[in-house]
Amino acid sequence: MKCALCGHEFTQEEALCNPACPLAGGCPVVCCPRCGYQTVDESRSTLARLARKVGAMGRKGFRGQEKAS
Amino acid sequence: MDCQGSEETLAAPSEGGPIVLVGNPNVGKSVLFGLLTRRYVTVSNYPGTTVEVARGQASIDGRREVVVDTPGVNSLLAPGECERVTRDILVQERPSAVVLVADAKNLPRALVLAAQLSEMEVPFVLTLNMDDEARARGIDIDAALLSEILGVEVVRTVATRAQGLDALAGALAAAPRFSRLAATYDGEIEEGIRQVMALLPPGLLAARSVAVMLLAGHDVAAAMEGASAEVAQRVAAIREDLQACYRQPLGYVINQQRLEAVRRIADVVYSRRTGVGEPLAGVLGRLAIHPVAGIPVVLAVLYLLYMFVGKFGAGTLVDFLEGVVFGRYVNEWAADATAWIPAQVIKDFLVGEYGLVTMALSYGLAIVLPIIGTFFLAFSLLEDSGYLPRLAVMVNRPFKAMGLNGKAVVPMVLGLGCDTMATMTTRILDTRKERLQVTLLLALAVPCSAQLGVVLGIIGGLGAVAVLIWAGVLTGTLFAVGYLASRVLPGRGSDFIQELPPLRLPRPSNVVVKTLARMEWYAKEVLPLFIIGTAALFTLERVGALSRIERLASPLVEGLLGLPGEATQMFLMGFLRRDYGAVGLFDLAREGQLDPLQSLVSLVVITLFVPCFANFLMIVKEFGARTAVAVAGFIVPFAFVVGGLLNLTMRALDVGL
Repeated sequence: MKCALCGHEFTQEEALCNPACPLAGGCPVVCCPRCGYQTVDESRSTLARLARKVGAMGRKGFRGQEKAS
Repeated sequence: MDCQGSEETLAAPSEGGPIVLVGNPNVGKSVLFGLLTRRYVTVSNYPGTTVEVARGQASIDGRREVVVDTPGVNSLLAPGECERVTRDILVQERPSAVVLVADAKNLPRALVLAAQLSEMEVPFVLTLNMDDEARARGIDIDAALLSEILGVEVVRTVATRAQGLDALAGALAAAPRFSRLAATYDGEIEEGIRQVMALLPPGLLAARSVAVMLLAGHDVAAAMEGASAEVAQRVAAIREDLQACYRQPLGYVINQQRLEAVRRIADVVYSRRTGVGEPLAGVLGRLAIHPVAGIPVVLAVLYLLYMFVGKFGAGTLVDFLEGVVFGRYVNEWAADATAWIPAQVIKDFLVGEYGLVTMALSYGLAIVLPIIGTFFLAFSLLEDSGYLPRLAVMVNRPFKAMGLNGKAVVPMVLGLGCDTMATMTTRILDTRKERLQVTLLLALAVPCSAQLGVVLGIIGGLGAVAVLIWAGVLTGTLFAVGYLASRVLPGRGSDFIQELPPLRLPRPSNVVVKTLARMEWYAKEVLPLFIIGTAALFTLERVGALSRIERLASPLVEGLLGLPGEATQMFLMGFLRRDYGAVGLFDLAREGQLDPLQSLVSLVVITLFVPCFANFLMIVKEFGARTAVAVAGFIVPFAFVVGGLLNLTMRALDVGL
């Protein structure tokens, strides 16, 4: 995944906070090993995935309306 | 242009060392590397590290040159892995030339590296990359004057458009020079450098740079190879003597003096045309870290946070969810739905005083969720806007006063997100002393986002005076304990280099996704804990142990803190999570069992508790069980003592809330 703040690319294993955290099992937030910025690992959050889907559907609908008009 | 990597045009290999690209992160170094080498690139981890180093070949003026792309660094003398790798390449591979790639928009950052390359006696060419963006922002750099001051070639490039490569190739072909830039330090440090240099092995390359690094406290094992133990001891003694002249860590002092030398150069060659280019975000970004103007910015951010979380989240939303949704509907439905159950004990377990629905779910969904939901939203906005790193810069100044320097600020600010994660982030600190000190402060006085949200939401209802007293007690405790810990714990501090991302408008999609993901995590982690805590209280109450514990704790809770006996239950819940205890106190206050002073005292105590059981486990994991027990053994009695002192003082002074 890519840090939204500093652009550093890192893997789940490299994430600073997640793998060793006792709560890592349910925690969808991982931290960039370079700057500490918290990024959501969307694959681990049902609500985050749902929000992205709704957002994508909304954009699709908006574009469809634009084309039709 | 004679600067390419195709094999057909490559001539005889060069006899000198490689050309090494060095630069700050995100300055277009790798793009330049790609343009120089084109093909035949190998990427591998630097031996013994996880840092990737790319190597390729380029043809410069008819010679085949090896080009090495190093990781982006802000200092060559810092102790991190990337810095060490870059340093090792520069010292061990003795490059024929270094290309120092600078972001022309932020020249001073690159000049720090230029000063260090000069100290290391490495020849280099300075490339002002992203020149187009700098000009668009009204930034003028007098390249000729800069070249004269530094004594090296300075070229302008726009790597993304492959502009300026001819000039770069020409500068590389014309035997890059050593820089005459010499960052001079004050008399004491220069004398220390001289003394250390006299002890170093004769003929050592970059001896001045090694001496500076040794004085700054960095491990330079390679340079000290062959040196006797006595020499190492004498270097340490020189360092200790020199450190005694300064209040700040020596590494920090050296860095500041080097920065001052760099600023003087930047002032001469770097100018910005007023009214041109600099976006509003840039102006706000600079204001946010200004030592004076930054303070009202911090206060404004805190006020908005208080209004949104304290007033809207903990007021409007909680009133609706607890009073209307749970008070009128959910609790009644649950009572009706369980009416058929013959066993009273099961009914009580579900809808009684310590019932799963009436207590655990009511606390978790009606009180905590709206408060932390609003807080998570606000925190995500702050995070996505790039303000948090600026907050780190602002708090770094007062933190220095308590002996907490530099990188320690990062986990302290991240602790506002999650203390457990921040405890692990302390790994980025260089010394065990700092790690332990920050871990203690995190556990003691830095509430995580959920706890801060709940406590702010509750205390917001008590009025501005209560908020100020609570914040004052917390800040005072943080500074007093931090200062004492820095004196008691052995070891030294480290320097602070914080990369500041641009301030920007938060992206709504990021903010929504983060907020939802955090709320989901909170519901998954905390609701089960609320249920476990409620079940434990229910059991204690049924076996009659709760009243006995209340009686035992009476001198402490009722005597010292001046609270009703029921508050003991909330402190018991606080051992699981501070916010669970806080929400219990919130409930007591709403039932009229706590007056404003009692609410304030109890919230101060619960804020100073160990954050949560997970945080305790993390301390065990990071420092061992003995240290974790010692930390908790200090924090819990300390929280009661601070609360007791506040209670007695407020009553003695008759301060009304």
